[in-house]
Formats: sequence, structure tokens, C-alpha cells
Amino acid sequence: MSRSLKQVAVLLVALLCLDPHSRVSSAPICTHGPSGCHVPSLADLFDRVIQHSARMHSVSNDLHSEFEQYFLPSKNHIGKIYRKCHTSNILTPNGKENAQKLAREELTEVILKLLMAWRDPLFQLHQSMADQQDFNSFSSNKALEMGDMAHELRKGVEKVAEKMRVLGMLGNSVTGLSAAEAMLPLSESGEAMSDYELLYCFRRDSNKVQNYLKILKCRIVPEHDC
Amino acid sequence: MRNSGAVLILTFIAKLILQAAGVSPPGKPRLTSCRSPEKETFTCWWEPGGDGGLPTTYALYYHLENSETVYECPDYRTAGENSCYFNKNDTSLWVNYNITVVASNALGKNISDPVEVDVVYIVQPNTPENVKAVVVHDEQGPFVRVSWEKPRTADTRSGWITLIYQIRVKQEKDEKWEEYDAGMQKYYNVFSLHPDKECMVQVRCKPDHGFWSEWTQTTYVKMPNYIPRERSLWILITIFSIFIVLILTWTLNVKRNSMKLCLLPPVPGPKIKGFDKQLLKSGKTEDIFNTLVIQGFPPTTDYENLLVEYLEVYDNEEQELVLEGKELSEDFMKSKSSSDNDSGRGSCDSRTLLLEKCMDGREGSGSDQHQYSQHGETSWASTESSESQGAEPGSPESTDGRAKTWPVVFPQPHHHYPVGAVKPAYHSVPEILNQLSPHATPSNYHQLHHQDIPQQELRFSKSACRHSQSYNQFNLDGIDTPAPGVPPLPSLEYVEVQRVNPENMLLLRPLSDPNREPERSDCTGEDYSKVKVVTSHNILLLQRDTSHQCVDDYSQADQCTTQQPPHPCKPAVHQWNSVMPQEGMRVMGNGYVDSTVLMPSF
Repeated sequence: MSRSLKQVAVLLVALLCLDPHSRVSSAPICTHGPSGCHVPSLADLFDRVIQHSARMHSVSNDLHSEFEQYFLPSKNHIGKIYRKCHTSNILTPNGKENAQKLAREELTEVILKLLMAWRDPLFQLHQSMADQQDFNSFSSNKALEMGDMAHELRKGVEKVAEKMRVLGMLGNSVTGLSAAEAMLPLSESGEAMSDYELLYCFRRDSNKVQNYLKILKCRIVPEHDC
Repeated sequence: MRNSGAVLILTFIAKLILQAAGVSPPGKPRLTSCRSPEKETFTCWWEPGGDGGLPTTYALYYHLENSETVYECPDYRTAGENSCYFNKNDTSLWVNYNITVVASNALGKNISDPVEVDVVYIVQPNTPENVKAVVVHDEQGPFVRVSWEKPRTADTRSGWITLIYQIRVKQEKDEKWEEYDAGMQKYYNVFSLHPDKECMVQVRCKPDHGFWSEWTQTTYVKMPNYIPRERSLWILITIFSIFIVLILTWTLNVKRNSMKLCLLPPVPGPKIKGFDKQLLKSGKTEDIFNTLVIQGFPPTTDYENLLVEYLEVYDNEEQELVLEGKELSEDFMKSKSSSDNDSGRGSCDSRTLLLEKCMDGREGSGSDQHQYSQHGETSWASTESSESQGAEPGSPESTDGRAKTWPVVFPQPHHHYPVGAVKPAYHSVPEILNQLSPHATPSNYHQLHHQDIPQQELRFSKSACRHSQSYNQFNLDGIDTPAPGVPPLPSLEYVEVQRVNPENMLLLRPLSDPNREPERSDCTGEDYSKVKVVTSHNILLLQRDTSHQCVDDYSQADQCTTQQPPHPCKPAVHQWNSVMPQEGMRVMGNGYVDSTVLMPSF
């Protein structure tokens, strides 16, 4: 219902905005700038994206602690060995200086790579959680939600990158991400990672994404909240 | 072989000796916590497990996840005793550190349990700095504005850390702190603080994923003394309402009487003629009832058949005589029937008051003769009895010892009342119920305006009171008995119409008059007569009860014309022994005399 209303509203806005004399082209709707409709600024876009990543991270955090609480012994248990996350191949700055040394484009690329790398594993995670009897539907729904959020976040960051490119902040060194690798979460030994390991790795990676986005934002639009 | 055995024995002995001396290898140390203040460095602390009596050294070793290289702690000093400080170069985020502590002394060493640490999740910032609390005066009241700065070490500017703040406030003598979340801003306004109290403020912060910092040192601020605006408003409202209440009270006080009339309509006074209310209040019941008793009255069975009603005549503004029928109530003590028109009026205002009540200054020179009848009831209007009394019910100005005259109102002082003539203001005429037929009788008779009001009391209209003056001007010329020579009668007494003199005046004389004809003496029980018929010659025919043996005089208005008669009329006494047949009289359905036809045209 709301969607149809939105469409109607968009159409109305289009009627207002469209110049009847202009040629038909695939121009964006709000060609006439702020008078016609509200264009979110880069800062707004960044804020939205950062909020989204924060939400995603908190969901992953919840799932991970749920896992730890019910299914695994204490954290400091001797012999707990973590296998490498499948995203460890992606070079990510592991400190503030390292992150600040990176160029914007690289930072953006890292973010996008990370998000891309998690598209399939999250889907896998949801599947395996749904299959198992141990998890209630709430947890498996959270996993599904996580997957959706990662997907949306990726789209959002792509939009931000696009906007930055339009504004000239970003050089063209950002490689096309359509060729991003869809990695399979295989450990070195070739075995699929367990759910817990996936959760562990995803929690960490979502934290990375959030952090990198914040750095990027304060570097590009440092007006507020920085 | 021998050497190893000797060595073994020696070490065993040495151990025993050492144990006896109280020394042992160190106890197991334990890592208590690791914290990072800004997500760039971190520190780990451990507690020793017991040194075993010998000087023990501690060493911290760690290795990163998925790496076998073991490193030792780079800095044991910066963070103090039993700590290890990792600087920026040694800190890697998003990497697990596997840390152990080894305690060693001369006798041995002991290794703690390993701890996995990811620096990103152990961030606990320093406390906020430079907390200031200032009182700000606002039109709605003063409040406290608390401001602070971020901890120096946290780098929020580059977005590396995001801090959220929390403040807590306590006023003196409060037990609990009030906590408020300030989000990411560095100031907060605290409202709803009590005036004239000291206020304590503390602030702390937390990264988005991490631990809360410690609370800052307390900052003190004193709230000024002020009256809250709300309270002053309430004070104003209170004063205003008090003022209004006072005004209302004063108004009520002024209008006390009318309020009383409105809220508590006065109970109509007893309409019992001659009934003394005062006596009722104060006297004994015997006295009360004695006053209602007339000597010799009532004759017990004589009046059972009589149905006499009062005809009440009163004068309204248009000089019309209004006659209202009135039936005597059964119970003279009680108020009358439901359609009592007296309700709501004070006794003095009551229109049903008998005229006697309103008379004062009257020269009662005769006693009236009222004829009453009952509907077979024993009780009857106590007006007679009240006549013999002094006070009148409800009439403060009742006169004592005055004979009541016929309640005739004279419009002018010297206007004599002609029998049957016109222009008496009103009078009441007892009416014989069943037997009278007051048809169109001559105009000489009382101008009785009949109102067909059965079941109602005969009432004396209010206007009677006004005319009481003229009422009194009852010229009793030529009358034997009345006039000043009349001995002062008891207040109310019956009079009987003795005769009608030539000037068309009813001459009355009290029933208890000693001058009465002796032939009446044996009929002293007869105190009243009733009008039986009004003949066409302006004659009021009064009737005695048929069963009565006495043959009494019947007072009657003699045949006197309206014109001034040249000679006084002689009363003609008619004796009636029997009830007059119905002819000549027209009795209204309920026994009222229709006196409308008697109204003279003025």
C-alpha cells in the first residue's frame, strides 16, 4: 500500500520536475535541483550508510554472543583455535595509522570487497542455521536479516562511491567491483567453516566496515560528528 | 649411575630442607584484565599467585592468532606493577592476542591460563575532562547546564572512536543519582532541580562497542533560591479564588433572607383559626387541646349531617369578590389537602388565613357568627376555638380579647355595609352544601363571587389583610351589643347576626353575650348558624340544624333594600324547623353558593 503511494508521489514529483520541453532522456528525476525535490547530500548518505553498518554489526554481535552462551564453552578455553576467516586474504588496515594512510579510493574499495565477500557466506549461514534444529526461528531470522543488511549496505556504499565520483572526490582508480570475487568461505584445509566460525568472522568484518566508513566520512565530510 | 643417584638424593634432601624453610615455586599468576583507552594501545594486568617465598619474576608472552611466533611483552613499566603495555606499534586491531604470564623463581615457574584478546572489544576510554556546571536563568526558571570535553586520548575527530556520554546528577540529601544520556553531544541541560540546594554532577563516556569509563570527579553547583513559576501561578489562583469565595459569602449574607425563601420555602403556618402556635411550642398537650375545645361544642351528634363549607370571599384588584369554596379539613392540626394553595407561603402571606389573623387595631365590636359544618367529621376548623383565644396562628399582631367581626371588608371607612349591598371587599359566608341553591339572588346580598373550588379550604384572600382596616370599620350603629359597651370578649368568639339595621348593616352580637335572649339560653350550645338560603329579598337565611330541638332565632338579613330605607328594618325572625326545600336556591354541584349573580354592578 505504501509502496503504491510512494510511486504515486514520485510520479507527481516527476510531473512537477519534468521540463515538458526537454527531450526525452534518461535524466534523473530531480533535474531542477533543490526546488523540485530533496537530494540527499553526501553527508546524509554517509550517515545513512554508517547507521546501517552499525545496525548490522549489532545484529552480528548478538548472534555471536548467543552462540557463545548456548553452544560453546568459555572464551578462554584452552585449545580454542580459530581458523582463518576467508576474508583474511583481503588486505585491511589493522590500525588507525594504517587506515589513515590509505587513500579514499582504496578504503572504499576495501569496504566494498569485504561486503561483497560476505554475500554468499551469509546466505549459507542462514541456510545452515535454518536447517539445524538447535536454533530457534528467531536466530535464523537474524541471520537472514544480516544477509539482507549486508546486501543493502553494499548497495549503499556503492551509491556513496558513485556520488563521490560524481563530485570528483574519487579518482577513477576504483576498480570495477563487478568482478569482485565471490569467495567461498573455505578454510585452508578446504573444509567449510562452521557456523560459529562464520559468525565470529562476520562480526569482526562488520566492525571493520563500520570503522572504515567512519574514517572515510570524517575524512570527506568532516563537518559534524567528527 | 652413582652420580645421578647422588644428585637425586641431594635434590630430594634440598627440597625437603627448602620446604621446611617455607619456600616453593611461585604460584600461578592470573591475568586480570586488558584494556585499551583509545583503540590504539592496550595494557594487560595480572596478579601474582604467590611468590613462594623467593623473589619471583614475571614475564608475559603472547602470540597472534594463527601465528606461532611468541613475543614477549615490550613494556613492563609504563603501566605500573604487574602490567604490560602494548604501544601503537605492537597493537593490531581485529587480531586475537593469545597472552600468557609466566612466573618464575629459583625453584621453578608457573604459567597462567592463556587469554584471548581482540583489542577492538576491550576499549575503555578515559574519563571526560573539564566538566563544568553553570546555572542558567531562564524565564521558566533556572536550570543547570553541564558541559565537558572528550578525553584527551580519544580520537573522535578522525572518526576512529565514537563516544557517547552519560551524566548523573544528585542533589544534596538525595539518595540516588539521576542518570541522563547525552548521546554524542558534549553538554546537557538539567531541569527540575530544587531551588537552594547544592547539586553534584558527574560524567562518563563509552565507545560504541566497549566499556564505560569511570565517572569524573564530582562537580558542585548551587541552585539559586527562587519560587517556581508554577507555584506562583498557583498562589495567584488561590488568592483569586479566595477573593471570589469572600464575595460570594458576602453576597449570600446580604441576600440571606431571599436565599432562605428560595432554598427553604417557609412552611405554611397552621391555618387553624385561633390556634396558638406558641402554645404548641411551649405548652403541654393538655393546654393545647383545651384551647381547641369550645365549651359545649361540638354537640356530639348534631352536626354530623351538616355539610357546610366556607365560602371565602376576597377582593382582588378589580374589586371583584372572589369566593372560594372551602371545605374544612379534617385535621386542623395538619396541613390541608394536596391542592392546598397555601403551600409556599408564610402564615402571614397565606391567603387562606382567616381574616382574623390580619386584623389588628380593629375595633372588634361584635362577635361574628360563623357557621361551620363538617363533613361529618368531628374536627373542624378551629377558628372558633381560636376565636376564643388571644393569639392567632402566625399572626404576630393578633389582638387579644378582640371579638372578630364578620370578615367583611369595607372599602371605605364609613361605608356601611348594606346587607346584601354591593361593595364589600369580601367576606366569607359559610355555605350550606347540600341544601343551598344559590341561584340568581338579589343583588343586595353579598357580592359573592363564587369560585368553584371544591375540596379546598375556604380561604381568606390576602387582600383581606390589606383591607383589614376597613374591615374594622364596622359601623355597628344601633346595635345593642357591640360598640364600646361590649365587655371585652375573649379574642375570638362567635357572633351571630342579630339583625340588619336599616343601613344595611349586619348587627352582630356575640354568642356568649349575656344579653342574649333567654330563649336562647338553653341553646347556648348553638354557637353558629349556617346560611341556608339567600332569598330574593336579600335575605340571608340562616339555618339551624334540623335535629336541634331548640328553636332559635335565625338571624337574618332583613328585607332591606339597597336604597336607604327610611326606617330601620326590623329583623324578622324566621324560624325554621326543617330544612328548606331546594327551591329558591341554587346550589352548585358541590354546595357552593353561586354568588356571581349577586354581584352588583358598580
